[in-house]
Amino acid sequence: MATAALGHSSATGRAQLYGTVAIARRALRDARARTIGFAYLFAAVAYIQPVSYRHTYPTVADRLSFAHSFANNKAVVLFYGKAYDLLSVGGYSAWRVGGILVIFAAVFGLLAAVRALRAEEDAGRAELILGGIVGRGSAFFASMMAIGGGALLLWVAAFIGSVLGGLPAGGSAYLALAIVSAVPVFVGVGALASQLAPTRRVALELGGAAVAVCFVLRVIADTSSSLGWLRWVTPLGWAEELRPFTGAQPLVLLLPAAASALLIVSAWRIAASRDVGSGLLRARDSAEPRFGLLSSPTAEALRSERTSMIVWLAGVGAFSFVVGVISKSISSVGISKQLERELQKLGSGSVLTPTGYIGFSFIFFVLAMSLFAVSQVAAARHEEVDERLETLLALPVARTGWLGGRLALAGVATAVISLLGGLLAWAGAVSQGVSLSLPKMIEAGANCLPVAFLFLGVAALAYGLVPRATVGIAYGLVVVAFLWQLFGSLLGAPKWLVDATPFAHVGFVPAQPFRVGAAAVLIAIGVLAGLVAMAFFRRRDLTGA
Amino acid sequence: MSAIRTEQLSKRYGDTLALDSLDLDVSEGEVYGYLGPNGAGKTTTIRLLLGLHRPTAGRGELFGIDCWRDPVTAHRRVAYVAGEPFLWPAMTGAETLEFLARLHGGTDTAYRDTLVERFQLDTDKKVRALSKGNRQKVQLIAALATRADLLLLDEPTSGLDPLMEMAFRQSVTEGKERGQSVFLSSHILSEVEAVCDRVGILRAGKLVDEGTLAELRHLGAQVVEVTFAGAAPKLPPLEGVRVAPAGASALRFEVSGSIAPLIAALASEPVATLTSREPSLEEVFLHHYDHGDGRARA
Repeated sequence: MATAALGHSSATGRAQLYGTVAIARRALRDARARTIGFAYLFAAVAYIQPVSYRHTYPTVADRLSFAHSFANNKAVVLFYGKAYDLLSVGGYSAWRVGGILVIFAAVFGLLAAVRALRAEEDAGRAELILGGIVGRGSAFFASMMAIGGGALLLWVAAFIGSVLGGLPAGGSAYLALAIVSAVPVFVGVGALASQLAPTRRVALELGGAAVAVCFVLRVIADTSSSLGWLRWVTPLGWAEELRPFTGAQPLVLLLPAAASALLIVSAWRIAASRDVGSGLLRARDSAEPRFGLLSSPTAEALRSERTSMIVWLAGVGAFSFVVGVISKSISSVGISKQLERELQKLGSGSVLTPTGYIGFSFIFFVLAMSLFAVSQVAAARHEEVDERLETLLALPVARTGWLGGRLALAGVATAVISLLGGLLAWAGAVSQGVSLSLPKMIEAGANCLPVAFLFLGVAALAYGLVPRATVGIAYGLVVVAFLWQLFGSLLGAPKWLVDATPFAHVGFVPAQPFRVGAAAVLIAIGVLAGLVAMAFFRRRDLTGA
Repeated sequence: MSAIRTEQLSKRYGDTLALDSLDLDVSEGEVYGYLGPNGAGKTTTIRLLLGLHRPTAGRGELFGIDCWRDPVTAHRRVAYVAGEPFLWPAMTGAETLEFLARLHGGTDTAYRDTLVERFQLDTDKKVRALSKGNRQKVQLIAALATRADLLLLDEPTSGLDPLMEMAFRQSVTEGKERGQSVFLSSHILSEVEAVCDRVGILRAGKLVDEGTLAELRHLGAQVVEVTFAGAAPKLPPLEGVRVAPAGASALRFEVSGSIAPLIAALASEPVATLTSREPSLEEVFLHHYDHGDGRARA
């Protein structure tokens, strides 16, 4: 009797274990594309930086002059964090690789946690799983284990990248560890946000705000002389304090370890005690009707994309204002000829004047606006995946009108955000007494549009032709094209090869003139792609997930 | 003019022939029941009729307008209810009804209020917070309130409770009285039996039977149940009669064709009670799926 009972319970235990493993495997498979994408990025950045440093600053003299000038430039510190040693390949790589990749590691952790925890509940799949023999605890930790697997892959990618880039294995392993240390912390942030927020979107917004705050704290700590201690408050600063290649402080690892344990355990405790499918912040279930923006599908698209557009507007606006403010601190004192040449390779001319710096920074806004434009096509695709498009097109709504309206909306929103970016960068610069022409800065904002419109058209084309692959192709092309330009010019690839990416045809406005001819060609290709997209969309079946 | 007309309408998805040379003709004012098990091709038919998917071969027309070439014109006269309610989670019921009404044009708002009352929908609730049945009500109300010439309904009552099911039947009957045509795809046979004039039965993408309820019943087997005083007797085998025991002293017969030979055989037996009825739609339906592959009946 006792044996039978024991046999039974161990059989149940085994079934539960299989269930847990199955959940972890499915979570890994769900995250496959994103994880592999991040891994490529980590490996590429970790490889490129040491190689290009050796290439650019072969002698100690070059490195010294670089260290004295560029690294203390607040504008650079903003993106890459604080530099401790710029005279060695390792120190430079730790700064350039670690400073930027740790932000990506944070974003990865956030996306992975929200996807595995909140998105599953949003879709109602969590209920299905918890209705089986797998308990809440197992399901939660299976998801965590799957993300841990992804983080391990990122560590391996960063490690291999920097070893191939010629850095010593031990130091590379530690550098990769410092980068990946942000993953569990932001997994914790994402897990906690998933408990608070009632929907995936709100969870991502909460977590995104946390990443932004951590980033701003690091910027303040790194750029101000008196507030350096703030570095200890942000997980992105801990990664700097680990100091790979520059007097390692491995004990600092206790901070991310403790923080992630605290966050994940609190998330778990909330998860274990709340109703499945709800969040601690309850969404309002009822509301007085508001009948604005319901007159057409395009109006409704604006209604539902409004929040996300405002977030983009605020983000781009804030960053361009900061870029304007910082542009004052740029000076050419102590910059070597070598460095000048290196920067010229990027095509920006002199970055060492306020206009040069703004022109250089706005290349990142070109990237951001391209991503925004693409995100609007992804939202249109989402409407089809959720089959609401079927509801719409069963009404007297024309396909071309629907898609055309969404593309037009995306175009207008992109233009508004870009121009506002130019305006705010001007305001930031002028507030610091930098003399800058307003029309020129509006032009710098408009300079984001040709490339963004090109990618909008290309994303639409993917949507018309291969709907299921739309999102991956659209975002993928933007990122590949951007990295192509960045690394292609750094590594001295032949001009025709670099010219294959649209980013190579953007002038560094306001330092350089707006390239009207190139802009016309880019926009024409974008519009043509959009028209062809509509013709294809008119002829295809609606396609679900 | 026909409300729906298809000629050899076919759709292939990869290797699967989802719809095979469908010929339909639903006249104006007719309520047509479209029956078939899951995966028979009912939803595919409706997607083709709405121009959401493109026919591989053949064509379909709504009120003489080509479904694929000019869907927008056709949709002005059509209202559609999908089997799954796919709506906008952040909108309330009232906002959704308003949005759908504006897109369709020409909604009867007084009738809409009546329907909201009849289906007991809380229109202040956001779609996100509604159960599946309640979301289905939003769709149904929006479609019925357009008073469109043709209602295309794809399993419209899935998720509704019996009370709401009655409200639905009432609304369809009202529509019929106003001269609306209804195309009701369903696998709830009692619903089809209650409201439809004519029924088509779909099996694996092919229309295997079509007719009025009376015609379909006539083609099915008549059911005769007999109880005896004492043990049930053994009868000789009879042409066109299938027999099955129904308890110790009762037999159940399914009779195709004339009932006379059975009556003759029973005359000498101690019959206590005898009941005879026409086959239910369910029995007609099962007949097509149980007895071989649909060719068996022909």
